[in-house]
Amino acid sequence: MTKVVVIGSGFAGHTAAMYLGSKLGREHQVTVMSNRDMFSYIPSWVWVGVGHMKPEKTVFKLKPIYDRMGIEFVHAAAREIHPDAGDQFVIGEEAGTKKPVRLEYDYLVIATGPKLNFAGTPGLGPDSGYTNSICSLPHAVKTRDSYLEVIEKMKRGEKQRIVIGTGHPGATCQGAAFEYLENVHKDLVKKGVRDKAELLWLSNERALGDFGVRGLQARQKGRLVNSAEFIEAVFKDHGIKWQVQTGVTSVDQKKIYWENYEGETGGTEYDFAMLIPQFTGQPVKYIGRDGGDVSEKVVNKAGFVLVDGIYGLSYDVLERNPDAWPSAYQNPNYPNIFAAGIAFAPPGPISKPHTTRNGTAITAAPPRTGMVSGVIGRVVALNIVDLIKRGRMTHHERMSEMVAACIASMGDSLWDGSAVVMVMYPVVPDVKRFPTESGRDLFVSLMEMGAAGAWMKFMLHYTFIWKFKGLPGWKIIPE
Amino acid sequence: MEVTQKDKFWMNFKIYQLWRFIVLNIKILKAVDHSKRS
Repeated sequence: MTKVVVIGSGFAGHTAAMYLGSKLGREHQVTVMSNRDMFSYIPSWVWVGVGHMKPEKTVFKLKPIYDRMGIEFVHAAAREIHPDAGDQFVIGEEAGTKKPVRLEYDYLVIATGPKLNFAGTPGLGPDSGYTNSICSLPHAVKTRDSYLEVIEKMKRGEKQRIVIGTGHPGATCQGAAFEYLENVHKDLVKKGVRDKAELLWLSNERALGDFGVRGLQARQKGRLVNSAEFIEAVFKDHGIKWQVQTGVTSVDQKKIYWENYEGETGGTEYDFAMLIPQFTGQPVKYIGRDGGDVSEKVVNKAGFVLVDGIYGLSYDVLERNPDAWPSAYQNPNYPNIFAAGIAFAPPGPISKPHTTRNGTAITAAPPRTGMVSGVIGRVVALNIVDLIKRGRMTHHERMSEMVAACIASMGDSLWDGSAVVMVMYPVVPDVKRFPTESGRDLFVSLMEMGAAGAWMKFMLHYTFIWKFKGLPGWKIIPE
Repeated sequence: MEVTQKDKFWMNFKIYQLWRFIVLNIKILKAVDHSKRS
């Protein structure tokens, strides 16, 4: 009996666990270790944060699903991984009791998601800082409460300055922040207080609509449109100001301090801010057989798991080598360790990096959430199944070969809501296969705004919850 | 580029948007199929 352990139960870990459970059945042992016993449908937290969706609609218990699929579930946070051959196990800390839990493995999937590194920006975050976040459910609920207080102030006639974007020069997930901004705009319009609010998009992107993927080009009405001009038109129409090429360096009670591409520093006053923090790898210890630290063989300095990508290339070289992106998400030093979702270390940024004259790197990190996470989770799971049953892997999917569809909500109403639908193929531009300016397939690329997008976003919420609950037909729903 | 009144009309015109909803779903499914989907 082969023992497979999956650490994490987000989009990547849960997808991997479901495929492993369904393919390996009860002949082998699949165990999920996670610090959360609920699955969270993160994309809908943008609606929780404006009070349009109840938090409980975005979560469900994992254990009943795993029981049905023959997967064991351990509610514990991973603390140590002992990867050396002959003695491979994970030590976790059980939720509640804090007792140590030991799980031996033959194959390990690290899908821990990010550590929300609020400490990377002094004053950032809802726990020990002054800003809000929608990166966890408690944070989204707290954000909703703060936001509703701001609305009350506006109803009393007070002007409010709302700043939404990224809270670190190297942050990612601009798409989620953009969605939240647009949902706030729509909500303020509906509540009749839009004239009392000044909305500002503050982001580390090189240009509007970059989203950490070097933007998007698509045909619209017979001409090529790029996401920068598209998002600029949307912001102008919605009366939203913007400041890009800006890395937030610290926050206090009244101001957000930043540095821009030119190396200029400044502060922006705010009454309410929702800023996405830097993501780093989870603080797990990697311990060798002799008790020594072997983390250099498993993770990079940021704590992300090294896999089969080519690391250390300059941006100019990486940009021309889509094959430098990992395809099997397998650690080169410990081939029975795989990483999925945000946990894997990308070989570099997708968007062009920038370092200011003061030495501050302002670069949108590559997004590995949502569809990308799910696809990687599936690839990793199917490869482990291959290794167990056939002894060799047959599944490969680089981010430079992967399609991604993003639906950015701009109001949740089915009647007058809207959303931007974006499809890009591949996620990481491949200038060899698609020698266009964007490095992507323009027949597949899509960028469209309208009520249909809002309906799709709503449909995806229920379709994906159906899939993640492992209900009949879940495998035919694409990640 | 700007979002014109004509654009806004089509973005909210429900019958047209129902058509777009069907087309977009097909396009996304085709795009997923177009991807390696190994």
